Amino acid sequence: MESFTPYLLGAGMAVLLGLDRTAALQIMVSRPLVAGPLVGFVLGDPLTGLTVGMLLELLWLCRMPVGASIPHDDTQITVSATTLAIALSATIGSGAGLTLGALLIALPLGKIGQHVERAVRTQNERLPAAALARLQLGQLPAVERLHLCGLGNFALGALTTYTVIVLVGRWLILSGAPFFLDLLTTQADWIKLALVLAGVATLLQALNVRRAYGLFFGGFLLTFLLLGVLR
Amino acid sequence: MSVNPLSTNPSLPQERIVLARIDNRLIHGQVLEAWVPFVQADCIVVASDEVAAKPLQKKLMAAAVPREISVIIGGLAEIAEFFSRNDSARRVLLLFPSPAAALQGYRLGIPLAELNLGNLPGGDGKRRVSCTLSFSEDDLSIFQQLEAGGVKILARCLPSDDPLDWKVLAAGGEG
Amino acid sequence: MMISGTLSASLRRRLFCRSFLLQASWNFEQMQGLGALFVLSPLLRKLYQGEELQQACARHLSYFNTHPFIAPVILSGMAQLEVNGAGKEEIEEFRQLLMAPCAAMGDAFFWGGVRPFAAVVAMFFALHGSLLAPVVLLLIFNLPHLLVRIVGFSKGCELAEGVVDFLARCRLPDLAIRLKQATLILLGILCAGLTHNTLNFAALPWQWGGAIIPLVFTLGWLARHRLSPLLLALLLAALILVLPGLY
Repeated sequence: MESFTPYLLGAGMAVLLGLDRTAALQIMVSRPLVAGPLVGFVLGDPLTGLTVGMLLELLWLCRMPVGASIPHDDTQITVSATTLAIALSATIGSGAGLTLGALLIALPLGKIGQHVERAVRTQNERLPAAALARLQLGQLPAVERLHLCGLGNFALGALTTYTVIVLVGRWLILSGAPFFLDLLTTQADWIKLALVLAGVATLLQALNVRRAYGLFFGGFLLTFLLLGVLR
Repeated sequence: MSVNPLSTNPSLPQERIVLARIDNRLIHGQVLEAWVPFVQADCIVVASDEVAAKPLQKKLMAAAVPREISVIIGGLAEIAEFFSRNDSARRVLLLFPSPAAALQGYRLGIPLAELNLGNLPGGDGKRRVSCTLSFSEDDLSIFQQLEAGGVKILARCLPSDDPLDWKVLAAGGEG
Repeated sequence: MMISGTLSASLRRRLFCRSFLLQASWNFEQMQGLGALFVLSPLLRKLYQGEELQQACARHLSYFNTHPFIAPVILSGMAQLEVNGAGKEEIEEFRQLLMAPCAAMGDAFFWGGVRPFAAVVAMFFALHGSLLAPVVLLLIFNLPHLLVRIVGFSKGCELAEGVVDFLARCRLPDLAIRLKQATLILLGILCAGLTHNTLNFAALPWQWGGAIIPLVFTLGWLARHRLSPLLLALLLAALILVLPGLY
């Protein structure tokens, strides 16, 4: 039986971890590699969360949360994919196929996160003006509350992104499972390798120091030959 | 000190400007993390009279750049003179604090072919045209003058953004 | 009003704690502007009253944008200036001096250097299926993060000269490059291990791993030509799912 509780818990985590992205603390619990296992832990299956987080971690690692450029919302992709994979395991049967299916479906849906985030930051634009008005009335506590309103906006944004990914993702998984589940399960290892490699390639591009490829392939070849010889 | 852009000898190795950008924040994250590697610059030149007059700010700006990239910070006249000397073949990323500074620099002989619009904050009498850009009437007339001189002006915050002509932005307003 | 002196320890703690919420109302208009006022308001309420308090608050409600982890240096400096009874211009000059360079240093060091390094080290644990991975990531990232916040906040009261000196001595941009180089080598090792394991699992000869080199080059080239990570990942996954069907 599919239960509603995991989705609710997932939503709570979506808000908490989503706030860490920009609004508060920024101690990196919002990174996929941390968010995944955390959500998994709350839902009772940290290893599924670890798989999801590990495959997503590198993809947007170097997109800086700077100024006006808004990176892809990898936190909500992680949270919703983990939640879906765990919540649906009761109906579909758990396994690498379902985890990867949830991940690959949540991945493009995460695009919505960028639009939501933009909307949140635009919504926040009203706060300084409102704060100035309150200030002229001499209400400093109200000004501080207005600042914290921003937290509410960010939380609402995280919740929106999460809900959209989970709703659309759940429908897609349930209707598509008969077609892709077996294929995904047999190809699971290769897909994992491919996702990590995609992340590595973007990182190689983004970690732009001199001789980046030299350092990378140096490390690669040395380890690879060593492992090959030892085998 | 007389600066005449026409007197440069074309046979000398040219100081290559790989990116000229107007950015009120001058040296900051977007420039260092995104643009420097994208255009493979090995020298950052800041042309600003205000910054040149403040030793503390100069020191701090230089400290924000890794040692392998050289930094030259000077007033507009100083920088124009630097370009007219062109004694090396470095790949230069040139930064102006404002459209007015860019125009003045251009008139002093800094060889501009293309100008990138990065960050221009809002303020009184300024119209927001995109997330990071606000134009005043003065800015628009400066862009017109620069373009009449053959300088292409494109708005592009990061290398991953699509370049947009300033006239499209000015006509479209926010959106 | 001229009150010169030091901030009390309890007040300093309050300001420091509030600095973790600096970006709560991030917006395109003033970025962290309202946040800076939020951080400083306990101090302002202590220093001023009535009309003066309003004016003091109003002058802090303006464009503020820097790296959130280095912001405590600037905020604590601004607090010290307020305590010293400095004027509006002096405070404005201090902010303008520090905001952009601090943002550049923080972006390079934390987002460009520490975060990828912490994540790649943690990936080694993750690929072994170890739940230590998130712990490792959090530890490696937050050690320098909290250190910079705490030391920065205490250095801020030395004002412009001291702060600039401190930041210049930290050499964060050079450290960032070292970290990036280390990350790249680790990334190579990670890739080799993963490839080796996958081939091992599929019972293929290990020499096939050589194919990874041109593959990574191609992917890197695609990424350089602005193919987003999203498309890159989906493209590869689709390729793997379709290929066996072609046999």
